[in-house]
Amino acid sequence: MKFGIFFELSTPRPFSRENEWRVYHNALEQCRLADELGFDHVWAVEHHFLEEYSHSSSPEVFLSAVAAQTRRIRLGHGAVVCVPEMNHPIRVAERAAALDIISGGRLELGTARSSTWTELGGFGVNPDDTKITWEEFVRVLPQMWMSEEFEWRGKSFSMPARNVLPKPLQDPHPPLWVTVTSPGTELDAARRGLGCLGVSAAGYEEQERRTKEYHRVIQQCEPVGGVVNDQVHTMNFLYCHEDYRVARDIGVPMVTAFNVANAHLYWTREAFPTRAYQTLGNAGAAMKAKSRPADDPSAAKGLPEGVGVGDPEHLIATIKRWESIGVTGINFLLNAMEMVPQEQVLESLRLFAREVMPKFRDPGDRSRVYAPTTVPGFVSDPTC
Amino acid sequence: MLVGTASVEALAASAPTISAWREQAVELRGVTCLQVTAEMRRAAREAVLPPALHPTIPAAISIQAWRVRDGDLGAFDFVCCRVSCRSGVRARGFTTGACASTERASSGLAGIFGFPTRTATIDFRQGYDGADLRVEVKGKTILALGATSPEPMGPDDVQYTSTLNLAHTPNGLRLVQVEAHHLASKIDRLTAHLDSFDGEAFGDARLRPYHVVSASIASEDISLPGVRFVCRPDELAFTGTEPVSRA
Repeated sequence: MKFGIFFELSTPRPFSRENEWRVYHNALEQCRLADELGFDHVWAVEHHFLEEYSHSSSPEVFLSAVAAQTRRIRLGHGAVVCVPEMNHPIRVAERAAALDIISGGRLELGTARSSTWTELGGFGVNPDDTKITWEEFVRVLPQMWMSEEFEWRGKSFSMPARNVLPKPLQDPHPPLWVTVTSPGTELDAARRGLGCLGVSAAGYEEQERRTKEYHRVIQQCEPVGGVVNDQVHTMNFLYCHEDYRVARDIGVPMVTAFNVANAHLYWTREAFPTRAYQTLGNAGAAMKAKSRPADDPSAAKGLPEGVGVGDPEHLIATIKRWESIGVTGINFLLNAMEMVPQEQVLESLRLFAREVMPKFRDPGDRSRVYAPTTVPGFVSDPTC
Repeated sequence: MLVGTASVEALAASAPTISAWREQAVELRGVTCLQVTAEMRRAAREAVLPPALHPTIPAAISIQAWRVRDGDLGAFDFVCCRVSCRSGVRARGFTTGACASTERASSGLAGIFGFPTRTATIDFRQGYDGADLRVEVKGKTILALGATSPEPMGPDDVQYTSTLNLAHTPNGLRLVQVEAHHLASKIDRLTAHLDSFDGEAFGDARLRPYHVVSASIASEDISLPGVRFVCRPDELAFTGTEPVSRA
């Protein structure tokens, strides 16, 4: 089981330059501590215009700072929004390779297509096209990294033969992921040999169904890159305290605030009739996560099902349940709108690392880095 | 977290009255439903909503027009302006103003569902290549828009959110949740342009749509079930929502 931390860089109102500075620098301090404590990943999302919910519009810059301030934690650049109006694919390949180099080969690259009209509309993106452009991006990025002469004639962009530079340090390239919000996207990931990066807090049953299908389908995948990444990570929240009542009283409002802020986004489907977006973002999944069986022991403690809020005993049981359904990693959101004071966030991380993390790994396991499966005989085709 | 800041007292002054809850659904048959979505200036995004509701980012309105050929309220045309919002975590539209072409429809939609409806002259035309809508009150145009270039869509490709209307009800002054069921047989996406919109005539002069996002037009039946839930307008929906009691 891998453990990561996950940043939306949500920022409370009233907005001020100092508030944003504080959010960014608190997050960097959390990254430094997570690195020391043996967490495996730090993920930073890409979002635009999402007031309060996420002020993380340039994750590659944030992650560059993380790379410079940490030693071993892997950097999750994700997800990059794979539409050319926001990110030209050549620039994505270049930035990712540079980040992989300066971090010493610690990059993981997530891909996504954005689900809010706030973002797509802001960049003038036609929602009908995002699945198509995402598909094109995930196919060309590995080829740009592995080929010395890459050319492309596609639907969203074309280019004559060029050597896209630099090349990433990891050979053949960093592991690729897909963020999964809508049901069925996990199968898009599996068919292409891409890791499944859950970003909505689905309940156990829904996640188990998705995970089983993912693991089944990826066995017959046609990889888009030079490696198969068969990991399934989910997003969760973390507030760990020895006293579950303290954890509950601090952690549950943080979870609620995040879910409410998420629900207030203006979803693409609401603004623009399209076949490409069949759900209203991830609000549905978040709401499903609230239901739980009556015999769930967390119910007596007033703790939400499957959520990383509680005492160490509760968190160990919760994570074991996630592990039992095939989840290979959990990325924790540590705060929302700075509701939890920074010192308590850091203490929660320390307690988790001391009491919970050792239950899921051997002492020597912390230095082990996930090695994706190299695709045998993979030959990039620069002209396809 | 953004919440509405409109004065409930001020909104209540023009709110319609529902004297008794109706259990049976109101059926509208042979409906042409045009929905136009537009972003509006952020200055008014909280000011036009009661404190129970949260605005979306960006602030947006949806204009719905119905041409109803038959049903429980007869044949009529109807237009309403709804501000996109959230009630708790749920996507909703808060109605700021509405017009109907007949007195029967106007009083029915106000008295059963709390739509703040008045009578108006509504000219709603659907052609082979689009639709035009013009609404006049006492000779003054309060809304004019056009939509062209239809593209066929599936019935599940268009999102209709439930509506919240502020009304004096047997439960007190409440936001009344109207859950319209749209049963579409044909639906097209359109490109729309808004030529004229009088915010004051639709409830608040600060309503200023400036960027039309999309439009759709559907051939459908609409079922308006009896109201099930209401919400206190001055309290967040997490705690302010209550079921309707017809006892």
